[in-house]
Amino acid sequence: MKILVVEDEKDLLNAMVDYLHQSGMTCEKASTLEEALERIDLYDYDGIILDIGLPDGSGLRVIEEMKKKNHQTGILIVSAKNSLDDRLSGLNIGADDYIIKPFHMPELVARIKSVFRRRSFQGKKELVMNELRVIPDEMMFFVNDKQVPLTKTEHDLLMFLLSNSNKVLTKESIAEHLWGDHADMADSFDFIYSHIKNLRKKIIDHGGRDYVKSVYGVGYKFHSE
Amino acid sequence: MKLLNVTNRYYIIIAVALMLIGCGFLTYRLFYLFDKEITDHMLYEKQIIDQQLYEEKQLQHMNFKFGDHIEVQPIEKFTSFRIHMRDTEMYDAFEKGVVAFRILSYEQQIDSSGYRIKIRRRLTENKDVMYGVLVAVALISLNMIISFYFLNRWFSIKIWAPFYAALKLLKNFDLRKEGKPQFRTSAIEEFNRMNEELRKLTDKVYNDYRNLKEFTENMSHETQTPLAIIHSRLDVLMQSENLTEQQQEQIRTTLDAVNRLSKMNKGLTLIAKIDNNQFADEHSVVLSEVIEKHLSQLDIFIEGKGIRVIKSLNPRMRVRLNPQLVDILLTNLLSNAIKYNEENGVLKISMDDHGFAISNSGSTPSLSSEQIFERFRRGEDKIDSTGLGMAIVKKICDHSSCQIAHSYADKMHLFTVRINPAKVSFV
Repeated sequence: MKILVVEDEKDLLNAMVDYLHQSGMTCEKASTLEEALERIDLYDYDGIILDIGLPDGSGLRVIEEMKKKNHQTGILIVSAKNSLDDRLSGLNIGADDYIIKPFHMPELVARIKSVFRRRSFQGKKELVMNELRVIPDEMMFFVNDKQVPLTKTEHDLLMFLLSNSNKVLTKESIAEHLWGDHADMADSFDFIYSHIKNLRKKIIDHGGRDYVKSVYGVGYKFHSE
Repeated sequence: MKLLNVTNRYYIIIAVALMLIGCGFLTYRLFYLFDKEITDHMLYEKQIIDQQLYEEKQLQHMNFKFGDHIEVQPIEKFTSFRIHMRDTEMYDAFEKGVVAFRILSYEQQIDSSGYRIKIRRRLTENKDVMYGVLVAVALISLNMIISFYFLNRWFSIKIWAPFYAALKLLKNFDLRKEGKPQFRTSAIEEFNRMNEELRKLTDKVYNDYRNLKEFTENMSHETQTPLAIIHSRLDVLMQSENLTEQQQEQIRTTLDAVNRLSKMNKGLTLIAKIDNNQFADEHSVVLSEVIEKHLSQLDIFIEGKGIRVIKSLNPRMRVRLNPQLVDILLTNLLSNAIKYNEENGVLKISMDDHGFAISNSGSTPSLSSEQIFERFRRGEDKIDSTGLGMAIVKKICDHSSCQIAHSYADKMHLFTVRINPAKVSFV
């Protein structure tokens, strides 16, 4: 999966690229609008992570250019300003999703993967890992080809874990993925625990392996091997 | 009391006092003059009588009365030329009553015959004079007071105009709005001096406010990127191979702190934005729909705690406010009511014509009802909150001209929000 990361803050750019790289993506960097426009002109990408506030212009230009190319690239907007206008205009002119700074890296990975999935698998949008199979759009989950009913939260949790397999996920990042602004509700970590427990049980009960391991004091990790 | 009334009151008091003194003086003076005039006149009459008695010989040896005020009477023996003057009261046919008279009596000797002559003159009544003076003075005073009143009114409109203009500017002075008050210069030095000081003051307040606002904005905006960098670097670090459990936990605690900082940042930015009037557009919002929406989003936490929800919503009530702010207001209030609720507690949401109320069971608050709405005030037990939730709620209420109040009774926390009636409608 080849991603272009457009971000003017070099440190943040490098950190993002490092993390995406750890998650098995190939990344290229651009830190100005000019650079970004040049890159999309020369190469094709599976996804673009795009900061709107660039020193030499609005990142929205990139989206406009991509549109002219009649592309199949998923675009994820990164906005420093928690401003509705930026997000809405970005989504209106063709971005697929947005994320607000600061964010958890696993969240970024989950979002860009979801954008990529929506864009790429035309028709057959499913995710397979060993004996597990998910059809995200229909919220269907199969273990050894047997359908396992999941609640919405369990489904979201599973998708987040699958997107970030073999990564240590903090409880905070999971809570924020599942409940957004409500993540800081009291006892939300207890809820994560019970959802993880249920999900694990459902997979094991249907003959799947025990993929989810808890990482002491930190959170959880989904081992794919 | 208006300044005008104060000055008018003093004017009137002083005017009345002066008039009373003037009355006294005038009366005294008039008495004196009348008195002197009468005496002089009577002495003059005496002269004429004396002369006539002397010249008109046929009048001699006669005992006659001249009207009722001159009486000439021959006497046997002349004693002296002494003139007696005395005041007395007598019946007066004209006045039909007893009135004051002055009697001048003396003896005269013409050609060895003696006469007693009495000249009587009615005196002007004291009370008549006083009455006349009083009426005159009262009329003058009344005239003056009325003139004062209208003059002052005119003065206050004319002369005090710059003052009232400055007052109006100050009244309409709103830090949140753009533009400083422009004080006009006037012809009156005192007002110009006042306006100059007011201008300095408002400029200072305005600049301080702007600096503070700018600082908050910059602070929250500029810290976002470094926070994002710390956050992402820690995320990368967390995935490193061969981390010990201790190291992992240290990274997680640091991440935790960064997270809290980000949330505080978000909260402060939101408050700054509300202050900046960036949520000005208002739309009609069905309050009960928003409440239902948030309740369903929070359902998992409500169920998880076994909280019983008691709703009495009015789906006909619409409020004309900023939808985003209504959203934030209700999320904060509802999640607060769940967060601080007890296991198997109660959450009550009710609406009436004036607004809504949210109450939840919970332990005795460690903060007073006022402190709850202050920034960075947290209850003792929940350290993980940002301490901004209720401050944001208060800010939204103030901004939307709603009133929020908290009370605690019967182990229930109650938050009531009264919405500005002008913003409420029913369908």
